[in-house]
Amino acid sequence: MADLEGIAENVIRGQAPKVKALVEEAIAENVNAGDILREGLIKGMGVVGEKFKNNEFYVPEVLIAARAMKMGMELVRPLLADAGVEPVGKIALGTVKGDLHDIGKNLVGMMLEGAGFEVVDLGIDVSPEQFISSITEHEVQVIAMSALLTTTMPSMKTTIDAISEAGLRDNVKVLIGGAPVTQKYADEIGADGYARDAASGADQAKVLVGVA
Amino acid sequence: MTHRERWVRVMHFQPVDHIPDEEFGAWNENFPVWQEQGLPKDVNNNSDFDRYFQFAPRSGIPANVGLSHGFKSEVLEDTDQYRIYIDGNGVKQQVFKDGSSSIPHYLEFPLKDRKSWEELFLPRLEIELESRYPENRSDWEQIKARYSDPGWSIPVGITIGSLFGWIRNWAGFEGVSMLCYDDPDLVKEMVSHLAALISKVIHRAVHEIKIDYAAGWEDIAFNHGPILSPKMFREFVTPNYRRIADTIREANPDAVIYTDCDGNINDLIEPWLEGGINGLFPVESAAGSDPIAIRKKYGDRVVMLGGVNKRALIAGKEAIKEELERIKPYVDEGGWIPHVDHRVPPDVTFENYVYYLHLKREMFGIPHPEEFESRPEIKAIKAKWKGVL
Repeated sequence: MADLEGIAENVIRGQAPKVKALVEEAIAENVNAGDILREGLIKGMGVVGEKFKNNEFYVPEVLIAARAMKMGMELVRPLLADAGVEPVGKIALGTVKGDLHDIGKNLVGMMLEGAGFEVVDLGIDVSPEQFISSITEHEVQVIAMSALLTTTMPSMKTTIDAISEAGLRDNVKVLIGGAPVTQKYADEIGADGYARDAASGADQAKVLVGVA
Repeated sequence: MTHRERWVRVMHFQPVDHIPDEEFGAWNENFPVWQEQGLPKDVNNNSDFDRYFQFAPRSGIPANVGLSHGFKSEVLEDTDQYRIYIDGNGVKQQVFKDGSSSIPHYLEFPLKDRKSWEELFLPRLEIELESRYPENRSDWEQIKARYSDPGWSIPVGITIGSLFGWIRNWAGFEGVSMLCYDDPDLVKEMVSHLAALISKVIHRAVHEIKIDYAAGWEDIAFNHGPILSPKMFREFVTPNYRRIADTIREANPDAVIYTDCDGNINDLIEPWLEGGINGLFPVESAAGSDPIAIRKKYGDRVVMLGGVNKRALIAGKEAIKEELERIKPYVDEGGWIPHVDHRVPPDVTFENYVYYLHLKREMFGIPHPEEFESRPEIKAIKAKWKGVL
């Protein structure tokens, strides 16, 4: 019998081969792909996020959990459309113009995927124009911007202003984060949300798309 | 009181005439920006910076505890927009040419597994002394004589490199994180090998020259804490620091051993102390490592270098004054040489930096260096502050 609880547990423990085996088993037993995703993979990553926020888990534990989740996700993804499962939201993610750091951004991406989002990873050094293109081309609901440096932080405001000037501000929510970023700064530049860490980024994104 | 006596006394909570006049420098991007704001055009790097502001010097013992020979640096791709190259650590990286950032984007790391450790790194980390000290024995004897002279007035230190940080540099942040779970025995073996190498190399130096401090680095924390758990750090790293610390303290029990780690280091302080590290640098206040909270928690078990919140210098004169007033009572207790909590970023103006430095020197009784004070650009800046100071 399919062990969805076991999938979640092994995601939490970062046991990628076990997650793969259990997901294969569940698929073979015709368990609904949405249930495998929600009750197994997403549930496991949800626990990982909470533990990360509470300093019970650190980066290595998050990375091995994300690797396990991805291994299961690769098996489930092709089945989701047939099962009528939609992502909880679509989000474009990038490190702002002038900033080449991607560790924090990648962690956020893992947490977002683990929360059931479809993530459009725009990479590093992302210009306001590239963020805008993601709204029109990919129809994302949320733009998530990351910056590690106080000197690159102003690109967040530049991007928000550019989105407004393009007449797209009402089409998208803006979420920001990164070492020097604060809620105060988010308020000052007119962002819709701020996340203090990667796991909170996924929580905030769910709030912004109205599924939290 | 010489600078050396002053430095040692501060680090041991003993009374001094004033704290040492030390700072951590600035980002390379600062120099062209500040030159537009009055900094002379010939101040282009941190050596120039130290000379220009007349900060107190340090003396370092030349003993190499790192790679005996670097990887071959090689440009792989060079376009109008970017350059992709391999550096001396074997790391493949990309730098952009539009001036948006001088920080590289890392593309590939050489340390991936046991095979790459054994083939690429072990031959560069052989535990031997000859290639790690000045080639000429007479040069070493001269250094020994100079630093052992009772009249030598500059603090003498040695670098002890890094244990986990080096592996992070060679394997990448994600690579080393994965290795901790995929091959923990290899991580332990690598850390242990580095500790054995470092202990062996510094053994000669610390027994032949009385050092005041040993300085290492880790840089394994970000704004929410260390990248790995304190439990894992204790298991993989702490006992190896103890080996290095024992080597140093059997020669000089009073030597300060400090480590450079940016980010929020609060959860690492206890494991460092257990390993014999008793000094913190640069105490990045802006990332959550509050030096006052550290002082209140650890008292004289921990000494600090740094801890002045760089964001106060970005904010302006009032914030600078508040920050210095905030730390002063604790600096006055001893065991703390305050300076900016990392290299000064380019969003700090030259004027704010000069103001910070002036106020710090004033508040802590540090003599204002004559040559610096007589510079026309400094006089011009200060003339604007009449009534502010």
